[in-house]
Amino acid sequence: MIRNWLLIGLLAASTYLSRIIGLELMAGRKMSPALRSYFHYVPVGIISALIIKQIFVPTDGRIVISLPVLVACFITFVAMKMFKMFLPSVVVGVICGLFIRYLLNA
Amino acid sequence: MDEKKSVRSGLIEALPLAIAIAAYGLSYGVLASQAKFGLAETVGMSLLVFSGSVQMVTVAMLAADANLTNILFTTVLLNLRNLLYGAALAQGIAPAGKWRWLLSFGVTDEPFVLGSARFKRYGPDPLYYAIVTGTLYLAWIISSLSGALIGNRMDPQQWGLDLAFPVTFMALLIPGLKENPVIATALSAAVIAVVLEYFFSGNNFTLILTGVLSPLIGLYVKRRFRHD
Repeated sequence: MIRNWLLIGLLAASTYLSRIIGLELMAGRKMSPALRSYFHYVPVGIISALIIKQIFVPTDGRIVISLPVLVACFITFVAMKMFKMFLPSVVVGVICGLFIRYLLNA
Repeated sequence: MDEKKSVRSGLIEALPLAIAIAAYGLSYGVLASQAKFGLAETVGMSLLVFSGSVQMVTVAMLAADANLTNILFTTVLLNLRNLLYGAALAQGIAPAGKWRWLLSFGVTDEPFVLGSARFKRYGPDPLYYAIVTGTLYLAWIISSLSGALIGNRMDPQQWGLDLAFPVTFMALLIPGLKENPVIATALSAAVIAVVLEYFFSGNNFTLILTGVLSPLIGLYVKRRFRHD
């Protein structure tokens, strides 16, 4: 509990600092286009890695593909591409993943 | 600048985004409760941090038993883009004087998009920015609370809430995958993460290394396409 609040406090401080530093110190300064692009790509890289870490699960010292997660992600990918609606795509993805889990356990 | 106009425009333009943000907030609330966050902690993080990507990644890493240092380092990487947003918004917020320290709390993805478009057309307008940030902040808090209340009452396995993590991240990722460098970043991140997980299964550095290295591939692709 205390650990969680400590984490929240540190995240709040570091996030606020990143906001105020940009506003106060970086305004008017020229930044290279490459650095700008790099900053924009970082979240894409981290989110992709998070998805991979959920699909490839370490089990007994080796990695195993979680079929329900893989299918759920694929269906969400297709749903987002087709309908471009966040919440319905998430719900459809979860339902498909659950269905695969049900089939695997049947 | 007409104050009534600023308030009205801020509300009208922020409302569609507030609905979209509420969908993310709902997901965050459910996911946070799966990461063993209590109701107060879930809402507290939304109140104090107010950053969808940072909060989502944090609860996902907590659910995967990541340590504090790794979470902090990863979120610092995520926050780098706020430096750009702040620099771009500085002039538009400047007339607020010392209130800009409060308004800077709204330097994040969605207010940046609305704010920068407004300032470009009409010049500095801190009131507009305050209305937009306040509306989106309220939507984020209320939806986080709702998500936490729903998440606490469900059996995660039975309702597939454990699947909500990867699926939510996938839904967050897809809209941004339009340009080749971004696609290259995502694909290279996937490859790097798989390789790291394969050779160092269950390690704590996959996210950090991938977050640092994969954007370099994106940059490489960007340069290559520009020169071809």
